[in-house]
Amino acid sequence: MSVLAIGFIPAAPLLIPALAGNDTERDAALRACVRDAVAAVVGVTETVPDVTLVVIGTTDEVSTYTGTWDFTRVGLAVRGSGQGTLPTPLGIGAWFLDACGYAGPREFVGVGERTPPSACAALGQSLAQGRDIGVLVVGDGSARRDEKAPGWLDPRAEGFDESAAAALASGDPGTVLALDADLARDLLAVGRAPWQVAAGAAQGQDWRAQVDFAAAPYGVGYLAAHWTPSSGPIAN
Amino acid sequence: MPPPPPDALRLGRQTFGVDDLIVMAIVNRTPDSFFAGARTFGLTEALERADQVIEEGAAIVDIGGVKAAPGEAVDEAEEARRVIEVITGIRQRHPGVVISIDTYRASVADLACEAGADLVNDAWGGWEPEVATAAARHGAGLVCTHAGGLPPRTRPHRVEYADVTVDVRQTVTSLAERAVAAGVRSDGILIDPGHDFAKNTRHSLAVTRRLPELVDTGWPVLVALSRKDFIGETLDLPTDERLEGTLAATAVCAWLGARVFRAHDVPATLRVLRMVSAIRGTGAIASAKRGLA
Repeated sequence: MSVLAIGFIPAAPLLIPALAGNDTERDAALRACVRDAVAAVVGVTETVPDVTLVVIGTTDEVSTYTGTWDFTRVGLAVRGSGQGTLPTPLGIGAWFLDACGYAGPREFVGVGERTPPSACAALGQSLAQGRDIGVLVVGDGSARRDEKAPGWLDPRAEGFDESAAAALASGDPGTVLALDADLARDLLAVGRAPWQVAAGAAQGQDWRAQVDFAAAPYGVGYLAAHWTPSSGPIAN
Repeated sequence: MPPPPPDALRLGRQTFGVDDLIVMAIVNRTPDSFFAGARTFGLTEALERADQVIEEGAAIVDIGGVKAAPGEAVDEAEEARRVIEVITGIRQRHPGVVISIDTYRASVADLACEAGADLVNDAWGGWEPEVATAAARHGAGLVCTHAGGLPPRTRPHRVEYADVTVDVRQTVTSLAERAVAAGVRSDGILIDPGHDFAKNTRHSLAVTRRLPELVDTGWPVLVALSRKDFIGETLDLPTDERLEGTLAATAVCAWLGARVFRAHDVPATLRVLRMVSAIRGTGAIASAKRGLA
């Protein structure tokens, strides 16, 4: 029983084409990388039976959620089918699973921005216990990458995001778990906690990691990456 | 009672939905139109103007050969000579664009439709009832305008209405019904309150304010506002300084339900209409990222 694949995608609502307006070409490269990351996770469900996909994102506190994506709160009254509404970061994950055609079992796990790395690691370990899962992590780097960024410029932001990108590129859960939680909070890097939950789940396995996108086109550090077990076939 | 007007507006090869806001660009083949910036009397000039406004995004081009106000006489033969070669030229260069002929003369409307016009903009309110017959004969659309019963090319003098909007509504509705009876396609008929035509400035402002009473008839509403005297008098500005006033009136009319906008200034008008569409929730945002990154 193990983690079969992990996809890392940003939590930016503008990834959803309907929210981004008519200019569908604007973020085409970013979206393609995100789709690859999601496809790497969804792909394992096609070859291994009884896999549950777990979507992890930053929410107010540690909790599980059920429901579908709904973008009414960000200004566009569209939603997926079914009851219940997910917090937006988890909804973005759900939207990409739908967009990928995934219809199998899925769970949604929220983790608080203040949840310490050790608690994130423990939460991650518990998710993978006794079953096969794929993990889709929704979160990004600092929202303080430049003067036009949502959180304005913090000179530490670029260095933090480089460390985060290096950690995701290393395929080493320990490196991800070493990211500084307090600095991440200062820098409005909401990806830190969910990345560390995924790292907790990934511990004890060897990973082949690929980072496809690491840039901050709108002042927020976006990372798109995927991990597949290094013993298994290379996804994508 | 005649059947209610359809939602879709079909003109030439184009079909416009109820939420579409459409620009009809003015192309004058006149040496004396009231707005000097729009006098393209030469054939080449007129065709170049048409090329430009189509490139800028106008869905309809409105070809006129006689200025609306009193002035030098232009007989039927001269009017036809001016407009037909323009229409023929535009049709050759732009097979899909909707061509409108701005005339009150049935004979000119007939020749224009034969040359490729899809819409007859009868701005003098059915002065010659045979204009509708000509449109019907060619399957063209028709703009039914309130011109207060004034003869073509006359100015209002001490004109009075008990209620101008009620008068406009009754007039344009009966013109539209008369057009249907004459065989004009009901999905090609528009109504136009005729700003400035047989109206003083307060009359034009009142019909603008009460545009929903025209929209409620179900007939698609065309407004011809561009740089007109009701704007000039309101702001005390000459024609070349009436753009802002025109655009304000355009925005208000769009918000109140007008669907077609006859305009000199195509890019500015289109920007206003796109903005109104987005505000009312029927038009797209070009590129959203604020607060979503």
